[in-house]
Amino acid sequence: MAMKKFINDPANLTVELMEGMALAFGGRIRLDSGKLVFRAQPKPRDKVALVTLGGAGHEPALSGFVGRGMLDASVVGEIFAAPAAPKVFQALKAVEREAGTLLVVLNHSGDVMSSNIALEMARKQGLHVRSILTHEDIAPGAGAPASERRGLVGCVPLYKVAGAAAEEGFDIDRVCAVAERFNRNMATLAVALRTATHPSTGQAIFELAEDEMEIGMGQHGEAGTGSMKLLTADETARAMLDRLLEAVQAKAGDKLLVVLNGAGATTLMELFIVYRAVHRILTERGIEPVSPLIGEYLTVQEMAGFQMCVARMDDELVRLWQAPCDTPYLKVC
Amino acid sequence: MAAGLCYADLAGMLREAASLLQANRDLLSQLDSATGDGDHGTTMSLVAAAILESLEAVTPTAQALLESAGWSVLSVDGGSASPLVGSFLLGMAEGCPPSSELSGGDLAAALESGLAKFRAQTPAQVGDKTMLDALAPAVEAARVAASQGLPPDRALARAAEAARHGAESTTSLQAKYGRARNLGPRSIGSADPGAVSISLLFRGFHAALAANRTPPLQER
Repeated sequence: MAMKKFINDPANLTVELMEGMALAFGGRIRLDSGKLVFRAQPKPRDKVALVTLGGAGHEPALSGFVGRGMLDASVVGEIFAAPAAPKVFQALKAVEREAGTLLVVLNHSGDVMSSNIALEMARKQGLHVRSILTHEDIAPGAGAPASERRGLVGCVPLYKVAGAAAEEGFDIDRVCAVAERFNRNMATLAVALRTATHPSTGQAIFELAEDEMEIGMGQHGEAGTGSMKLLTADETARAMLDRLLEAVQAKAGDKLLVVLNGAGATTLMELFIVYRAVHRILTERGIEPVSPLIGEYLTVQEMAGFQMCVARMDDELVRLWQAPCDTPYLKVC
Repeated sequence: MAAGLCYADLAGMLREAASLLQANRDLLSQLDSATGDGDHGTTMSLVAAAILESLEAVTPTAQALLESAGWSVLSVDGGSASPLVGSFLLGMAEGCPPSSELSGGDLAAALESGLAKFRAQTPAQVGDKTMLDALAPAVEAARVAASQGLPPDRALARAAEAARHGAESTTSLQAKYGRARNLGPRSIGSADPGAVSISLLFRGFHAALAANRTPPLQER
């Protein structure tokens, strides 16, 4: 079946979407060389900078979170494909500062390779750069080696807490400590109902029967823990949350951040019905939910499904999570 | 016939390898459709174009030529293929002696350095159905050939043959990396497009030398 999308030339998807985004948020973000996104008003140089990278096709991620209180720059690749290492280096060079830069990398092989090469170049040139790898997917098991666990939507709240820390003037060691603490205490699971079309090739990125769902599916259709019969919202919420709470070892009295991220074709109606179940289970167990994030933050085209991310929060993380930010797709007043 | 590789030989090798990758664009995409998202031919065409573009600039030495090709390839947005192939070429440059003519031993040292830089980018091992299944045996064949005192063209003939075998061997392997991994046992039965690309690269390297020299060198 022919692809049914509002596009022009499949070869120009990334260029056109980035131009549109930059035009829409001209006062906030600035597009450089087609695939580098910076804040329109740069952060003062005495504060730590936050940079990230990733393929396109997941909008508003990742560039939608460039702005005050979150990212300083994002480096965009082609659809579902990592940006080239020299571009990542170019972004690191552009935000270069004595205060230091933290590069946030989601665990996907192309992103990791480009980052490693860019970091090597940056260090050779004496740039003060640190990095952190998000790998909070627990589909292969919470105890699986980090290399097998993907970076999913958990990068978004991580940008938020680390970005707030940087904005408050934390030094690079403390910004990294906040980011690492959040990283250690978060876990994500994805569930898919229907596939998405790769907008460059027109092909479905995976197959799933009409009456089935798959828990653990990655954001490019990477296999999860096997397909199963479709469950209700309450059953799905419980099945996912049980595993997530176990992974982060949440117990009564803990504060927990919940992110429900729609994959592209799952309605807010469904997400709220799922959140209701999540909130009830947490209350049952004496776990205190912290202001959750519910909506579309890291999408996979028209894939139906969602990612559920939880993070065990201490008081400092809660404060940073609730600190002001002003980006195209996340604002806290 | 113990002639070494000069700058023009190396440029010819890169040019021929790039042309061969471009000529096989559809084949590579077809192979990728069986296990991945069907864009490997497109990506490798961009990689090849980056190599060709780097050849247009005049560089002072063989080492600079390889370095320029490596950077050019790294600049391609293409998931994993560009950092892997780019790192291989950059590694070759790092392992390349500054002399104006490369012996079989020099070439083998450059290839080994390229392989080391490639391996630094990925945890993949031989047998995981990746580019490495063609690259590792190719470099090993060149090393053995050089240790036996064979000149670069003979060493590359053996490397190309080993790469071809390596790429073919991936047909019966199960993927452990990339999107092909999702398919599990269903990834068996189709060659890894990345390994085939590496095989084409070495075939191009060898073909350029075989065409340049008289009599044409052929493995009997």
